[in-house]
Amino acid sequence: MSYLMCVLLLGLVLGLVAVASNPSPYFAAMGLVVVAGVGCGVLVGTGGCFLSLVLFLIYLGGMLVVFAYSAAMAAEPFPEGWGSWPTLRLVGGYLVGVAVARGLLGKNWYEEDWSGFDSILGLTVLRGDVGGVSLMYSSGGWLLMGGGWVLLLTLFVVLELTRGLGRGALRAV
Amino acid sequence: MTPLIYSTLIISLGIGTTLTFASTHWYLAWMGIEINTLAIIPLMTQSHSPRATEATTKYFFAQATASATLLFAATSNAFFTGSWDILQTNNPLTYTLMTLALAMKIGLAPLHSWMPEVMQGLTLLTGLILSTWQKLAPFCLIYQIQPHSPNLFMALGLLSIVAGGWGGFNQVQLRKILAYSSIAHLGWMVLILSFSPPLTLVAFSTYLMMTFSLFYSFMMTKTTHINSLSTSWAKIPTLTALTPLILLSLGGLPPLTGFLPKWMILQELTKQDLALVAVLAALFSLFSLYFYLRLSYAMTLTMPPNNPAGTLPWRLNPSHNTLPP
Repeated sequence: MSYLMCVLLLGLVLGLVAVASNPSPYFAAMGLVVVAGVGCGVLVGTGGCFLSLVLFLIYLGGMLVVFAYSAAMAAEPFPEGWGSWPTLRLVGGYLVGVAVARGLLGKNWYEEDWSGFDSILGLTVLRGDVGGVSLMYSSGGWLLMGGGWVLLLTLFVVLELTRGLGRGALRAV
Repeated sequence: MTPLIYSTLIISLGIGTTLTFASTHWYLAWMGIEINTLAIIPLMTQSHSPRATEATTKYFFAQATASATLLFAATSNAFFTGSWDILQTNNPLTYTLMTLALAMKIGLAPLHSWMPEVMQGLTLLTGLILSTWQKLAPFCLIYQIQPHSPNLFMALGLLSIVAGGWGGFNQVQLRKILAYSSIAHLGWMVLILSFSPPLTLVAFSTYLMMTFSLFYSFMMTKTTHINSLSTSWAKIPTLTALTPLILLSLGGLPPLTGFLPKWMILQELTKQDLALVAVLAALFSLFSLYFYLRLSYAMTLTMPPNNPAGTLPWRLNPSHNTLPP
């Protein structure tokens, strides 16, 4: 279990390096998919199974899919992967940064110092965050409505920004 | 923009600030700040020009970075102290991080570089909302952080007074001048925060009133450059006579109201045995006074060359109302 968490966390850091090294959006989207998937695994390991499910569905299955389609529409003839020199230099730089951070902070960031959602050992269905979900619908009702309002507001904001085609705020100039 | 969307965005601006003011939990306060950021984005792109879009993008990047840092600091605080209460920020790492994140939100030096460029790309009305309303919610949070030492606040404050004064020195665009003036005034407010919070509120409320008046007088004469300001004296002669008073009040000259916060802040600093800080703050405010004086020189005290028709606008019927547009 601990080994699995180590592998997942390693995948998280490598995915971060892969995305931040600025490749083409195709490859960056793949890096994001890997990071999201691995991050969901980390969440399950620390007891947030519902949150992990929601993340997979909405983030990976909703937003990243839309992003991948948008990236496919903005095709470029020579996409830069992680083998091209500028990206490779950034990958090297970030790996050095990770090593430096490990040297500076490595002492207290092991898995046993993490505080998860609960202290159940093992992967069961009902973990720590399911209680929080039910609270969100009962005594946290006002916050749920506030969160819903913010999402609706974001929708209006995005629609207003992208309205107008060639005469709107966002256009090819 | 359709009236329905416009009113939704304005109401959301109100909701966001109210939420931050009313909250004791860091999540809710952060949520209010995010609502404010989101709601003002389409208001900033209203003029649909590339410059406005550029200003909006820069504003979004700066505010998103600051919000993410604030959320991280709040979560770290919950991890270390076990409490999400805004008044329970005991850990030095977290309250420093929170202070810096909120300083970036309101545009204190050295995190102020987004302010002039963002203000330059906006209409005067949107710039007014950015300078006044958008400062309320983060300022409410800064007010409630209780650090153990006044060093960070004093450093931010003094740097902001210097950056605001020195940066505005060579500007001719009025919106950039207003941005630098905002940076300098926020510096004065934050300087005295750890010694006497009521003085911070005095400085903030006088700043709000003065900046609102100045923005609004520029809106009435529709001027955005010193050149157009210098030929605008004939448009509304009463305004031409009164604007220097607003400008000198911003510069902090007695007997105008703008002198009051500066006087009290200097007095409090000397009582705390920080005479050097007081002297430095007062001296660097002279830079701000210079460009305020330059504005009143251009507008009222001199009459730059113009054609004779330029002396007649006051005779025509006003094309504006005196209430806000």
